[in-house]
Amino acid sequence: MLRPTTLAMILAGGRADELNVLTYYRPKAAVPYGGFVRVIDFALSNLMNSGIEQIAILSQYRSYSLINHIGTGAAWDMIGRYRGVSILPPFIDSEQQDWYRGSADAVHKNLDFVQYHNPEEVLILSGDHIYRMDYREVIAYHHEKNADLTVVCKRVARKRASRFGMAHIDDEDGSRGGRVVTYQEKCENPEGEWSSLTVLCFKPDILYQVLAENQDDDSYEFGHDIIPRLMAQGRRIYGYKFDGYWGYTRTIGEYWNANMDLLGDEPQVDLERWGIRTNLDHRGIRDYQPALIGKQAEVSNSLIYNGCTVEGTVRNSILFPGVCVGAGSVIENSVVFFSNTIGENCRFDKVISDVNTVYEDNVEVGLEPGDVQSVISVVGWNNRVPAGTRLGQGITVSPRLRRDRWVPIVEAGRVLR
Amino acid sequence: MRSSEDALVLLLAGGVGSRLNLLVETRAKPAVTFGGIYRIIDFSLSNVMNSGLTRVGVLTQYKPLSLMSHISTGEAWDFTGRSRGVKILPPRTGFKDSDWYKGTADAVRRNIDFVAANESEEVIILSGDHIYHMDFDAMLAFHRAKKADVTVGMMVVPMDQIHQFGAGITNDDGRIVDWEEKPEVPKTNLASMGIYVFNRRYLLATLARSRDEIDFGMHILPWAIDNDNVFAYPFYGYWRDVGTIQAYWEANMDLLSRDGMISPQKWQIRTNVEAAGRQADRPAAHYSGTAEVRNSLISAGCVIKGTVLNSVLSPGVVVETGAVVKDSILFRDCVVEKNARLDLMISDKLTRFGENSVVGTGDHHDIANRLYPKHLYTGITLVGEFARIPPDIRIGRNCIVKCKAVAEDFTSAFLQDGESLS
Repeated sequence: MLRPTTLAMILAGGRADELNVLTYYRPKAAVPYGGFVRVIDFALSNLMNSGIEQIAILSQYRSYSLINHIGTGAAWDMIGRYRGVSILPPFIDSEQQDWYRGSADAVHKNLDFVQYHNPEEVLILSGDHIYRMDYREVIAYHHEKNADLTVVCKRVARKRASRFGMAHIDDEDGSRGGRVVTYQEKCENPEGEWSSLTVLCFKPDILYQVLAENQDDDSYEFGHDIIPRLMAQGRRIYGYKFDGYWGYTRTIGEYWNANMDLLGDEPQVDLERWGIRTNLDHRGIRDYQPALIGKQAEVSNSLIYNGCTVEGTVRNSILFPGVCVGAGSVIENSVVFFSNTIGENCRFDKVISDVNTVYEDNVEVGLEPGDVQSVISVVGWNNRVPAGTRLGQGITVSPRLRRDRWVPIVEAGRVLR
Repeated sequence: MRSSEDALVLLLAGGVGSRLNLLVETRAKPAVTFGGIYRIIDFSLSNVMNSGLTRVGVLTQYKPLSLMSHISTGEAWDFTGRSRGVKILPPRTGFKDSDWYKGTADAVRRNIDFVAANESEEVIILSGDHIYHMDFDAMLAFHRAKKADVTVGMMVVPMDQIHQFGAGITNDDGRIVDWEEKPEVPKTNLASMGIYVFNRRYLLATLARSRDEIDFGMHILPWAIDNDNVFAYPFYGYWRDVGTIQAYWEANMDLLSRDGMISPQKWQIRTNVEAAGRQADRPAAHYSGTAEVRNSLISAGCVIKGTVLNSVLSPGVVVETGAVVKDSILFRDCVVEKNARLDLMISDKLTRFGENSVVGTGDHHDIANRLYPKHLYTGITLVGEFARIPPDIRIGRNCIVKCKAVAEDFTSAFLQDGESLS
């Protein structure tokens, strides 16, 4: 097989409001994860490991971080005679004047691109989940069933169901999958217990047709509009049942949990075993020396990448490349992004700290309790936290906060802008 | 900005480096792992890159495969582009030349067509087996200011080490007026670092003179000092020939020192993390709840459940619960099983230490290795690549365990101090 038959399209357009300061300056697909990768690396690596190497990425929000990250695509072996990754930004021409109005509109605006590749199936993926999947099995099932659309689903508890598109799948193929009988997007009491994972395999002609029909609507989303429309037409829609790990990163809490799933002696997410690759040129992470763990350091149940220097204590935490932890500092249950510098005698508990932030000596983050919705504190990028500052649980700090906006004590749950 | 025009660089990477013993059994010395993720040659290549030089020939001879795969296209050191490049120059047979390289000057002479084909005012000749940080651009500027024919990089070394080096005596102007190669009774402590800047025309003329002049230190320099303008460029930073096991071990330990004797990151040393697969392209190192790590260099991809003290670990090393690694250097993907204890040893890649095995034990650091007393005499034990140390085995000081050793190779439960399994 020389010419690839599958075209994969990754939806990486959006930011997530709930991710707050982490997505001020980057799309959610480019959010760092797990000590050195970006969230979109899971979709890209899964594609590579599935032998699918003809890929388009639909990107709209602050694309630069993503464009920079994808580079030539070589990190995922996506350069070659018949292999490639293309980033498709929104554009204007004689007919189109809008931004992407939704995921389905984004694909519709690029139908020229899709049809040029003349694929046998179009795989639509979302770029913001943590998982490992062999898409070949999905595609095989899709063909075996001669489906118009195959939706990959995972069973979820009904009480969590209101956030997802929920399918009721019959038992045609037991635990492997079955016909989708009903599909309801984000409703309170859905009939089905299988949530769509936004991994969709389309028969191309059906996709072209339904996207064109959808243009007359006023909403353009795969989950909200396209799947219900195909259901109403009585198309052959199958559900492929997936029971592996599935990590959401749409809220700060989910994102933090998905990171903590990397820790422990039997971590649920194992980047090495899953074959997850990233672009080592992005932020020059390949140029860091191995981590230097100092004479007084104490490190347990943590992930630490190259380029870190640890003189203090690190527990249940993840340190990205270039993080320095000064003597006497204690970092617990935290995720510290690239190139943070933490001075001496600082204390962190349940903190997510975005890139390039400097904590002067004796800073405390996330220790002082309060009546808060979330106990996780988030500090935006390029901050300099003055010595002795005490930030309570669940605080949020905007990126690049002006020096004169800092106060010595920030109560739990407060937002510093 | 770079002050001078581009000089051609020749990197001599052909030596056997036999004093590194097992570590050079399957690779040339410049390709030996150093500091977790680096190869020794990375220091020379990165110095070249950081000096703004863009054309390099690497002269190989001995077991070049590992080196060639490491250098690859040269992309890691920014040697890819319109007019830049790194060329591997292997020995070749020709009309008259059918021997291996006889010495440093002989090696350059056999590649004289490469030197002739690359226009440049100067040729910089380096060796690929030193750990150092040096600006060749400054050395070039010095060479030009002195209107020298040859400039030799030199530094002061302790008097008791000078016998390993070429030694030069200089006048007040920095001109070298006298030269001794590896003197038994030294007259100076100024040692040659094996780094030369030649005017290209001068080099071409010199090498054309006599085919019997096979070594720069032995033949070319003494003649040039007597007849032409040879200057010493003084160097004051960290520089170390890691050609012996002891020096290699010490230089690795220098990476751990707080005063930053060696700092690959600050020196902007680059390596090819994707050579031969993904040797250094791994996830973050994983420390479990039982890990204890102090004063160590830990590469990405390590999994630490035991104790690691004063050690340097390459990517993918696994230290199981209860295991202790102390004062040691482990190459990539070694596995130290439960309760194994490693002390003062160097292990090549992909070895496995069985449960409760002990490598490096006892106080007889002074019982030198019987087969290689000049290689191992300070207590360091060496384990070759792919070796499997069976459970409960004990291995003493200054021992050698051959590459690919398996359980059947061990005839007793204790390998005595200074003994070798070969």
